[in-house]
Amino acid sequence: MPGGYTGKILRVNLTNKQISTLPTEKYLEFGGGHGIGSAVFFDLVGDQLPFEAFDPRNLIIMMASPFSGTFMPGSGRCEVQGLGPMLYPIEWFGHSNFGGRFTAQMKFAGWDGIVVEGASENPVYIDVVNDKVKIEDATNGVWGMDTWDAQQEISRRAVPGLRRGEWAELAQSCYTTQIPAVVTCGPAGERKSRLAALLHGPGSQAALCGFGGVFGSKNLKAISFLGTGSVPIADPKAFMDARLWFRQFQWDVDNPRDAEIFEGSGYSLINGAPSGGNVTNGGPNRVPARAAACASCPRGCKMRLASADSNEAVCAGTMVANVGGGGMFGGFGRKPDPNAMPSALSQKLTRQANDLMHRYGLGHWQVMATRGYIEALVREGVIGKGKQIDFELPPSGSYAYHETMFRTIALREGPLGALAAEGAARMAEKLGRYQKDVSSGLVKLTYYGTQEHYDSATQVEWGYGSILGERDLMLHQMSNYPLHWMAQSGNPYLDAEQASKLYAEAMVPYQDDRYLVDYGEGPTGIYSDSKVKQVAWVKHYEKFWIGAGGFCGWRWPQCITNNSADRRGATPNAEPKFWNAVTGQNKTFADYMELGHKIFTLDRAIWALQGRTRDMEVFPDYIYDQPTRGSIQPMVVDGKWTYATGAGRKLDRAKVEDWKTRFYKFEGYSPATGIATRETLEKMGLKKVADALQKQGKLS
Amino acid sequence: MSDGKKAESTEAAAKKKFTRRDFLVTGGTVVAVDALLSTTPAGAVTAASAPPPEKVQAYPASKGYLVYDSKKCTGCTTCMLACSLTHYGEQNLSLARIQITQDSFGKFPYDLDIAVCRQCKYPPCVQSCPVQACFVDEANGNVRRIDTDKCIGCKTCLKMCPQQPHRTVWNHKINKSTKCDLCLDTPYWNEKGGIGGKQACVESCPMKAIRFVTEMPNQQETEGYNVNLRNEHWLKLGLVEDSRIQPPGTGGFGGGAPKAKMQAPKANTQAPKAKG
Ligand code: SF4
Ligand code: SF4
Ligand code: SF4
Ligand code: SF4
Repeated sequence: MPGGYTGKILRVNLTNKQISTLPTEKYLEFGGGHGIGSAVFFDLVGDQLPFEAFDPRNLIIMMASPFSGTFMPGSGRCEVQGLGPMLYPIEWFGHSNFGGRFTAQMKFAGWDGIVVEGASENPVYIDVVNDKVKIEDATNGVWGMDTWDAQQEISRRAVPGLRRGEWAELAQSCYTTQIPAVVTCGPAGERKSRLAALLHGPGSQAALCGFGGVFGSKNLKAISFLGTGSVPIADPKAFMDARLWFRQFQWDVDNPRDAEIFEGSGYSLINGAPSGGNVTNGGPNRVPARAAACASCPRGCKMRLASADSNEAVCAGTMVANVGGGGMFGGFGRKPDPNAMPSALSQKLTRQANDLMHRYGLGHWQVMATRGYIEALVREGVIGKGKQIDFELPPSGSYAYHETMFRTIALREGPLGALAAEGAARMAEKLGRYQKDVSSGLVKLTYYGTQEHYDSATQVEWGYGSILGERDLMLHQMSNYPLHWMAQSGNPYLDAEQASKLYAEAMVPYQDDRYLVDYGEGPTGIYSDSKVKQVAWVKHYEKFWIGAGGFCGWRWPQCITNNSADRRGATPNAEPKFWNAVTGQNKTFADYMELGHKIFTLDRAIWALQGRTRDMEVFPDYIYDQPTRGSIQPMVVDGKWTYATGAGRKLDRAKVEDWKTRFYKFEGYSPATGIATRETLEKMGLKKVADALQKQGKLS
Repeated sequence: MSDGKKAESTEAAAKKKFTRRDFLVTGGTVVAVDALLSTTPAGAVTAASAPPPEKVQAYPASKGYLVYDSKKCTGCTTCMLACSLTHYGEQNLSLARIQITQDSFGKFPYDLDIAVCRQCKYPPCVQSCPVQACFVDEANGNVRRIDTDKCIGCKTCLKMCPQQPHRTVWNHKINKSTKCDLCLDTPYWNEKGGIGGKQACVESCPMKAIRFVTEMPNQQETEGYNVNLRNEHWLKLGLVEDSRIQPPGTGGFGGGAPKAKMQAPKANTQAPKAKG
């Protein structure tokens, strides 16, 4: 076995309670994480597709990477895969990931991943301590608990007498001071809500795809890992050297580079400094807090507060509820507005309302979309006292409003809860309004039932990357944080030309194309071949480094950074340097990107087996028909690089379709179907995938 | 662990073999806790029930110490993994000689502690080892170390380290005790460790929350080691104002505060100047 792997994947069948293992070796060519997960999914159930997400045949696959449990910076995420009940109109084979220390403990316990199949008759949870795997009864108190109580209760049961700050003996002379790492669904998941998330710790969510609901459908409450083993490292000296080499790309907490520019709150989200992710604990009323990190993250974007509310929640996890203006104060790359100071109480209630969402186990990003839709339907007179949906919400912006909203959705209470628990897309469908409300943008379900994130007409790699995938791309570190938010700060540290140059140089193997991040509408812009390459790069990076490597999308890729002397980021040197040191392989960045291409191609084949066609890979009408407010990005305008917003722009349907044709060809896919050709599949060693597609008549 | 560094250090240690007799002094000038622990027969009685000693043993003070700032730490565990990597070539939290204990559900600052070996002035681990495997390495700046070749795995030093969690760390792969050696014996690192060298945890901590110092910290209080390493740049993050921190409350698993820390913490002292 190369370094980085433990060599075995845990396989648990909840129907017959069988516990077995899969050898990691069989899947090594897929790297880890998402790559191995996709291959395992295809192997175990690919020939049975299509079926539904709540079918016991659906799998929950949670894979670690060779980096999990190591100090590779920002690599500790856990990739969750399976058919996603949130996705629409087909419950695509989806992925969602969460941070924290779950995969680290999984590896220390001796496992590269876990695959859960079948469904239990009675509620259970899975408890893993090193090589001891137990399917435990959850009826005795755990089922029904909120996500916080469940994690703490399961930890206590896993390690009797557990107390932080003491050594616990897990097995004969195997000691740890660590607390079990538990991932759990909440009451929303138990009720098979399509908005249900998985929670690890108080605020780390796998929010997308509705995997909490899949846990519920399997009568699976939680999975817990704790271990005392090692992650083997192929070249320890090189790995240690690489880790210390990486310091040049980190925020120097004692002496930040150009502190006078980057310490300002306008940069707090993107400068790499600790704690910027929690947007409800700022301003004069802030509560003393620790900057808190996921395992091995050099940034630590989270907080743990003296009040222990909003602990470890970031971004959307602190943003969905906003009580009395207590949210978003001074956070999120914005300067605080001194005229809109929230009170300490409204900030506290905002944190606590968001915590309720986490405790119910509701996925923040899609609850936001659903809540927005509910509000729109209240305005349209569909929801209200005596209306079609007879339900009156407390005044908007009150704590009671959020409490009612979350409870109603999570517990499926009343006519509104029953509808909303299905998620905004299916809610619209059940009301007979999907076509109308999505086309008009009344509810912005832009990518397969997931809500629009950044502007699809300007930050196009986000939109294109999403419709060519299965949900919101969620890859902030591409153009979004470093470019968009740098420009948005009003004080960009690189001009558009410099930034685009450094970006291009980092984007191996397309480094010779100067226009990869041109977001203009000119010949090198959003419909160009440069954009084909950029989107291919994004998808390949997403599949290999983010997906198979377990990287954090808030840290990687790093094409530029304010923290290095020449503003160059760690990409593309860091990734292979670390990967090779850990695994002992000796490949280039471009080699691994080609593996990302392979994983992307496999995912797309699985979607094809589920019924994906080229004409599904489109935006809703409003993106093409309504002018956008724009979003600041580097662009070539009249032959010159500049930062501009593209306001007023609409995406052009025909040009997008033409761009897609070129993209499919570039990737080796049929332009008619968007599905990989046999030649492409066989070249990648995916002959059996080609055969499966052929069997279903999907190969043209 | 077969490189030159280790061979040299054990040989040197053997030459200057250190016996209890060499350092006996009369008691009375030493604080009670040190004195009590110092003469406890290995594993026989607990520190608290030991009779008052007539004699305590003195050791040359270590020429280096780790101090840390538990309020600056993010809990990333990089330091732990660097410790195990440089010593063993693998990454394992259980083998790390620095332990970060934390509870995600807890209340700051009581949600996390950093447990480093104090290189005690009167080290009970050294005093109690029946075979002198745990020793003061005079050839290397008096670092309190364990020679795993000599260790018989009796676990006395685990019981006798007065800190909680104990800073002697059991290595279950070899069934021996280990402890922080200030990175003296790091065969899997290209840097020289120990006093005058570098420490893997210090170098790798992204928060600069651990510092190597040469001045002996106050031995009586945890605060002697848990110091304020935050400067004006940390203040600008708007996270901590020590004056606003409330006495311990519990959240999540509660507890956690080491015994010496049960009262409300005092205002942080300034860190001793780094000299290493
Ligand atoms: S192991 Fe414990 S007793 Fe020994 S020097 Fe370290 S802190 Fe002191
Ligand atoms: S475990 Fe080893 S080092 Fe510790 S007291 Fe026993 S022999 Fe000495
Ligand atoms: S100084 Fe070295 S041996 Fe001691 S805790 Fe740090 S890394 Fe480990
Ligand atoms: S490396 Fe630093 S910030 Fe991370 S856990 Fe260790 S002391 Fe804390």
